[in-house]
Amino acid sequence: MLTDSSLIAPGMLIPLFPLIGFLINGLFGKYLPKSITGWIASLAVLASFCCVFYMFTNLPSTGSLHIDLFNWIGFANFNISFGYLIDPLSITMMLVVTGIGFLIHVYSIGYMHDDEGVTRFFTYLNLFIFFMLLLVIGSNYLVMFIGWEGVGLCSYLLIGYWFKNDAFNDAAKKAFVMNRIGDLGFLLGMFFILFNFGSLDYAEVMKQASLLPVGSALLVTITLLLFVGATGKSAQIPLYTWLPDAMAGPTPVSALIHAATMVTAGIYMITRSGVLYAMAPFSMEIVAIVGVATCLMAAIIGLMQNDIKKVLAYSTVSQLGLMFAALGIGAFASGMFHLVTHAFFKALLFLGSGSVIHALHGEQDIRKMGGLSKYIKVTFITFLIGSIAISGIPPFAGFFSKDEILSKAFEHSKIIWAILSISSMMTAFYMFRLVYLTFFNDFRGTEVTKKHIHESPSTMTIPLIILAVLSIFGGFIGLPSVLGFAHKFQQYLSAVTAPAQHILDESHAAEVSHSTEWILIFTAVIAAIASILYARYKYISNKEQPAEDASLTGINKMVYNKFYVDEIYETCIVKPLKVLSDLFLVLIDKLVIDLVVNATAWVVGLSGRTLRLVQNGNTGFYVFAMVFGIIVLFVIRLFI
Amino acid sequence: MMRVDNFSVAFSGLAIVLSALIFVLSADFYHNEEKHISDYLAILVFTLCGAMIMFSFSNMAMLFLGIEILSISLYIMAGSKQHDVRSNEAGFKYFLMGSFASGFLLFGIALIYGATNSFHIGNIAAYVSAGQISPMFYVGMLMMLVAMLFKVAVVPFHFWSPDVYEGSPALVTAFMSTLVKIAAFGAFYRLFYLCFFDSLNYIVIILGVVTAATIILGNLVALSQTNFKRLLAYSGISHAGYLMLAVMSMKTGTASAIFYYASGYGIATIGSFAVAILVFKAMKSENIEAFNGLGKKNPFLAAALTMSMLSLAGIPPFAGFLGKYYIFSEAIKNGLFGLTITAIITSIIGVYYYFKVILAMYTKEADETSVQSNIAYTTIIIVCVSVSLLLGLFPDKLMNIF
Repeated sequence: MLTDSSLIAPGMLIPLFPLIGFLINGLFGKYLPKSITGWIASLAVLASFCCVFYMFTNLPSTGSLHIDLFNWIGFANFNISFGYLIDPLSITMMLVVTGIGFLIHVYSIGYMHDDEGVTRFFTYLNLFIFFMLLLVIGSNYLVMFIGWEGVGLCSYLLIGYWFKNDAFNDAAKKAFVMNRIGDLGFLLGMFFILFNFGSLDYAEVMKQASLLPVGSALLVTITLLLFVGATGKSAQIPLYTWLPDAMAGPTPVSALIHAATMVTAGIYMITRSGVLYAMAPFSMEIVAIVGVATCLMAAIIGLMQNDIKKVLAYSTVSQLGLMFAALGIGAFASGMFHLVTHAFFKALLFLGSGSVIHALHGEQDIRKMGGLSKYIKVTFITFLIGSIAISGIPPFAGFFSKDEILSKAFEHSKIIWAILSISSMMTAFYMFRLVYLTFFNDFRGTEVTKKHIHESPSTMTIPLIILAVLSIFGGFIGLPSVLGFAHKFQQYLSAVTAPAQHILDESHAAEVSHSTEWILIFTAVIAAIASILYARYKYISNKEQPAEDASLTGINKMVYNKFYVDEIYETCIVKPLKVLSDLFLVLIDKLVIDLVVNATAWVVGLSGRTLRLVQNGNTGFYVFAMVFGIIVLFVIRLFI
Repeated sequence: MMRVDNFSVAFSGLAIVLSALIFVLSADFYHNEEKHISDYLAILVFTLCGAMIMFSFSNMAMLFLGIEILSISLYIMAGSKQHDVRSNEAGFKYFLMGSFASGFLLFGIALIYGATNSFHIGNIAAYVSAGQISPMFYVGMLMMLVAMLFKVAVVPFHFWSPDVYEGSPALVTAFMSTLVKIAAFGAFYRLFYLCFFDSLNYIVIILGVVTAATIILGNLVALSQTNFKRLLAYSGISHAGYLMLAVMSMKTGTASAIFYYASGYGIATIGSFAVAILVFKAMKSENIEAFNGLGKKNPFLAAALTMSMLSLAGIPPFAGFLGKYYIFSEAIKNGLFGLTITAIITSIIGVYYYFKVILAMYTKEADETSVQSNIAYTTIIIVCVSVSLLLGLFPDKLMNIF
């Protein structure tokens, strides 16, 4: 434990800057020129980033800083403080949130420049950063939950940012409802923790949990409930359907919230609760199975999508599945590593797609694109870099993290490895399908659009370039030991993941040998290259184009329609619920409750109207009533 | 003849504050109608004098004197609009019935003097606690009780109050429903606490019947009222019922609960009347319909009246809520479960008629007439609303006086 008091002040400031930015833009935004609000918001995030970076350089990786701001909820037998916990894990998350958050803020200045409600946009965006920081900086589950709910709110507000469009509002509501289902799990998990451990503080909970037997029913319950929360926020089966619809929001929002930061909250939460999960092997298996299944399913759906953002959305779901698979097999640091590199290249890809959409004045259908590499060079090159990175080609960032997960999966279970590898091949294929259809061959849109194609302003291209550089070199923070390097990222996080890792290692097999690992690497790279070449053969050499909606048949149609999951939910859950609620409305509410309430009101009203008649205005009668009352009183008291 | 103690100081202070608020409202109220505003103000101060005697008497003669000073002043004030038939009617009705009650009071005092040979409340209390009580004393006490019940206007001695409240000028109604009611309750509590405390068990059944009848009838009849002043008259009757509950709980020393409740009630009522007077004057009507659309016409007045109504209905965070809470919890401490449950149910029914006014302001269509406030009224309204909010948030300040 580090007690250097010089770190407390910057630690406390971290979430404060975006809050200030939110307040300035939210309260005084209408008095400020529109061009300024974006910069205020960006600077607020940059200031936070500087604080985080200061913490990163000054806090040793073995240290952690615990700041109790105030005692928040105090009851007889438990206390919950509003506290911050700054350690390597939260610093990693905060670097991603503020660093990429800042780039996306700057990008948004260009992207949103002619939008009417730009002040509102930046207000929400700052509020989001504040809640996201609160989520990762909190020292107990309740603070995390505030952040958790807060980012859900901001996500809702930003998906429905263009609120005049009903479809967008529906998407926002869907995201909110799906998240609420997950939140209920999180909330129940918290109640279980509080009830059984008497505290929500991470350190205290982990300490008490490690005293229980491995695999105890309590820990399995808690971890599964928390995982339900994670499936909501991080878009895993069965709650993933909101994320593709969430693409209704402005593209920077998709990049920030629905790719780089908020959706990774589930990964963070499980890593943070590592000890609980390590003590519950059954839950770990569930996490792994759900992760693998989501990874595969989303990758398959991604193969057939024609909306540039939808492809990226399913890709995100798939990559999140990969991260959950990593957590499920006990590779916490690898999951976090992939989270970081994924944040780089997925933010890049989303911003790149935003730049394409910007160039084409809102067109998102890749069937109406093509040949754009000639017109928007910077966007093309950076997008290509992002695609290479996500496909897992060395030495780009995605390669190292993905390869690490695959080799960990191989030592855990060959089946998991095989499915993840197939999904990775699909990823490489659909990403390059996207690249080829968007940037190669001839333009397929209208002539009018073609004339107006233009490269984006520098506020948009500079973040793209920075993210492209990160996507190339970002993986070097975790060079694997097989290449003869020390795994820096893993070492940095080891102080946090060690307790969980320690529990797992006791029951676990040895690592795979270096020769096996080399074979795995080669297999993965060759598979990725083969997928890319196949995509090239199909879409460049054969100049194939995605089929029209109507001409799809059989399995293609099923995949194109996302396995009809939305429709299944609609028929199996939404409709029965609606019927049930209609029934209750007519039977219980209208017939029983209303009748009782109205009858009571009627009786009361009638007695009021009747009693009123006694007051007839005649003084003689009043005096008579008084005398009568007096007599009654005397009779009661003196003669009974 | 008089004894100054915490009780008398606190209640006198409250009476002075309430009178001061009404004083400020008076200048404008009588502005174009009366030639002799000085008469009115002199009588107002005289009434206050009577109220203060009622809070600090230590002698039956002083009690009678205080009540008479208060009452006679009020007979005049109720009839102070000389050319208004209804004002005359109100003054005369009040006088007829009030003198009837005064007769009872005097008769009761005489009987008690006959039994105890003293006017002094200390001596009478000593007589009661000695135990050798003659029937004459009980009859005297019952007669005094009847007179006090008349003054605080509880069922079945309430008949005067709706008619007099409706007929009197609005400001006089405000005065009667706040200062006068509080003065009557102060004297009632003081008389029974200092003088008849040991024989309380003898009349507790009477008080119970009267209280139950009052809170039920007051709230039920208020439901169907269309005149705002009448509505507040019945509201005042039901509040008297709640205060009766506190009087019945006297054994645990409920002076502070009564004081807190009376303060909250008085302040909220004056706030309502201040708004109502402005509306009456602009709309030339005293019905609840006069408030239609006030939320659009004058949002400030509507918000202030809403807050006062919420306080009277007993909705947190206003003083009215905590006042009820204190009284009910004292009543439960004294084992008055049935009455407390009745009181809680009827106070839920009461919410309905307070909201009738609020709904009229915010959901009904407005007409063209505009409603304007002036500096004096605005100040008083702001003071009343903020005090009832502050009392609700920081009740300790008042509750710790006793």
